[in-house]
Amino acid sequence: MRDVIVVGAGGGGPVVAKELAARGLGVLVIEAGPRHAAPRNEWTHFENDANNPLTGFFRFGPADRTQPAWFRETPQNSFLWQLSGVGGTTQHYYGNSPRAYPGAFAGYAGSDAGAYDVAHRFPFPYDELVPYYEWVEATLPVQTAAMGTKEARFFRGAETLGIPVQTTKTTTTASYRPQENAILQPGGTAGRTRDPNQLHFPQATGCTFCGHCFQGCMEPISAPRNQFAKRSTDNSYVPMALTADVWTPGGAPIELVTDAFVTQVHTEERNGQLTAIGVSWRDNASGDEHREDATVVVLAAGCTETPRLWLNSGLPNPNDWVGRGYTDHFFDWVVGRFDEVTGSSKGVGSSARCDFPGLGGLENVGLPPAIQAFSMTLSDSGIRGHYGNGRGATGPWDGPAGRLIGPELKDALADHADKLLNVLVITDDDVEAQNRVTLSALPADAHGPPPKVQFHQRQRTARTLANREKLAHKAVDLLRGAGARAVYRIDWAPLILHVQSSMRMGESDRDSVLDESAESRWVKGLFVADNSALANGLGGPNPTLTTQALATRTSERIFQRYFGGDPWVRSEAPVVSTDERISRRLAELGL
Amino acid sequence: MTPRYTPSRRAFLARIGVLGAALGTGLLEAPNRASVRTDATAGGASLALPQLEALLGELARDTLNGLTTFVVPGPDRYSRAQGTPRREPGALDAKATDFMIEALDNFVPFPQELARPVATALSTGLSGLGIELPLELGGILPIALGTLDDALAELLASQDTIPLSLAIALLLNLVATQVNPLAVRGVFLSPFARLSFADKARAFALLEGPDADLVELLDTELPEPLHESVSGILRFVGGALLEFPAFGSYSEWAVFDPATKTLRSTPVGWQLTGYGGVSDGWDELLGYYQDRTEVTG
Repeated sequence: MRDVIVVGAGGGGPVVAKELAARGLGVLVIEAGPRHAAPRNEWTHFENDANNPLTGFFRFGPADRTQPAWFRETPQNSFLWQLSGVGGTTQHYYGNSPRAYPGAFAGYAGSDAGAYDVAHRFPFPYDELVPYYEWVEATLPVQTAAMGTKEARFFRGAETLGIPVQTTKTTTTASYRPQENAILQPGGTAGRTRDPNQLHFPQATGCTFCGHCFQGCMEPISAPRNQFAKRSTDNSYVPMALTADVWTPGGAPIELVTDAFVTQVHTEERNGQLTAIGVSWRDNASGDEHREDATVVVLAAGCTETPRLWLNSGLPNPNDWVGRGYTDHFFDWVVGRFDEVTGSSKGVGSSARCDFPGLGGLENVGLPPAIQAFSMTLSDSGIRGHYGNGRGATGPWDGPAGRLIGPELKDALADHADKLLNVLVITDDDVEAQNRVTLSALPADAHGPPPKVQFHQRQRTARTLANREKLAHKAVDLLRGAGARAVYRIDWAPLILHVQSSMRMGESDRDSVLDESAESRWVKGLFVADNSALANGLGGPNPTLTTQALATRTSERIFQRYFGGDPWVRSEAPVVSTDERISRRLAELGL
Repeated sequence: MTPRYTPSRRAFLARIGVLGAALGTGLLEAPNRASVRTDATAGGASLALPQLEALLGELARDTLNGLTTFVVPGPDRYSRAQGTPRREPGALDAKATDFMIEALDNFVPFPQELARPVATALSTGLSGLGIELPLELGGILPIALGTLDDALAELLASQDTIPLSLAIALLLNLVATQVNPLAVRGVFLSPFARLSFADKARAFALLEGPDADLVELLDTELPEPLHESVSGILRFVGGALLEFPAFGSYSEWAVFDPATKTLRSTPVGWQLTGYGGVSDGWDELLGYYQDRTEVTG
């Protein structure tokens, strides 16, 4: 019997685990994939070894890489890129930590209030979340990104758009800026040398500009795990949760079980209310089944697996909104070719952005060659010059939108390492019932019927489609302003990477699963703390920080409702996750 | 049972490449020269299953060579045949076909419950296509065709798992001959590999559409709950078959030693792009935009 069981150690679950461990609760965290305890031995910087979604050390599958990945049905041209393992998808994220736009929240009264997804706002005001943002920003920590060649190039383009530089954390108007990201600023020799002999901690601290955010962060060499540059939860919140006894009085370290897939949430009637009482999981290696009970169960398995687990557990779904309302920022991808060097493969994956409240945003993305090639062949618009698949829009970009194949792909990539600049279009997309997770009719795996993730990209709302078009035009303007001599619009098929709101909290019980505390409306003691709990797509900003702020708030609610405790965020000061006490304790534990 | 030795049945086998491959490899000899090779131990006119398995493996490889060189052409005969030869290395130099076969057959978590009916639909479904077969193929004795047919059916029924690479190859060859019926004969085992670059693009237009006839054909063999899943699956497959050869060709896969986690040589993709390689860091720091290192509020 535990106080709290957290299902999933991705971007959100470890936040709840760390916060409640700090309160002295007994917390068990169960993660479906591996814990990479020794990245220098287990990882490389190579793209296929890392990122092959079938075989890479970053995939959605069991720890044993000789076993196939886990199946999810995606019945449309799309790519669902989520990871199992401690850290979840933050293992390959770029650390971008912008706050949500205030217009995505209840009570927003700005002059542009009608420009957002007003039917699906957060059930509380933006100001309510600010103290939790500040808490997480201090914990990770979130800092202003340093600049490399590709950022300088991006800013040169942004400066031509007629919008100001943002110099605050909160976004109030169309603007551009360096990312606020969960990546430690470079110190010592970091960013100043390519000689690995000079890139050891503590001679180098923070980001070394290696260019491998997507392959996982293990820099600087020989740094303690909690002082790696990128603050993925395997480097930040999980180390804190595992060492909670040394950095806070009364803290209790969590127990972390990995390579263990939760297959069932157990409930029973208590005081006339359906109540969560525990979970069962399957050990991937042995196949053994285990069960553990708890006072509170927190689901944090991600936007696809949390609704799947809910449905496979036979939990109630009276308004049929479990799994619905999935948002993905309906990405698009615009690539500029330059005569000058862009440094696309070096430095932090993305350190510059534009914000357009009401539309979404743009950010630069640097990539090594294989994923760059992938990024230019994922399209819903056929093959440029041959067929448009019913689309293939023309506009200020060169030629029709579409993927590059054959000679054109090779010609474009011949410039790759130094002369491409990618802009990611991040659309403020509406919550829609039709975009959803349901159970696939394909055969069950060891964990039950697999999830089926449906996106109807061509039938998105008029606002979503218009936002994406406007942003794609702005991306072209930016690249041309930066000096691009050719610009391709790829018209990506859904790359389901920013995921939100498939178990959403909401103002109305007609179209939401969670109440404003992220507790299930129909099962007591059952909370959700991953991106699926978000009410909407935040207006376009990258979701991890907001999920972490919300999970911090949810932790307080759990502590108050079920353990008789008091909230702490407004009365205490956070400990930064790079704290030396955590480093020392990790070393003692061999972690 | 419905008679299976019909002209349209022959046309169908030709279109998915099996008949031509059987002829091309000598497994099934043309009627003017010899009757069907027989398996001595089995008695009668039955093809040896291991031979057929090998044949289908070669057909899959040939088809995927035609695919990977479509995405990343190089100085090879497949790229020449499609009309886009290149001087610099391409997909075959990066072993992208092996990358695809290993992924498809060992790691794609594609349920056999779906792979098997798809392969069955592609290999035994009636086509009603009405394509005129070239004389060389059309003249095969019915008994020979029946034997090959039986063997193919038996192979599909006897194997625990259907190689996904085979199912994909059958699919590509089917759409290839829909785009260009003349592709049922020519150099290469695979009709898809015989297409021009533009015709390969047309084949993908049919896959991604997806083409209604193709959906109907596949739907006939699928179990009830999966009806209407075919269109979505084809759209997904159509995309993935272009994205993965690109990823594989530009990755380190072909020269990576998993035991030492090092590279045996410079990856083709790095040569093609001038990529500087992996590193623990770069001297790339330019400072902070407008010298601002912190914001609040």
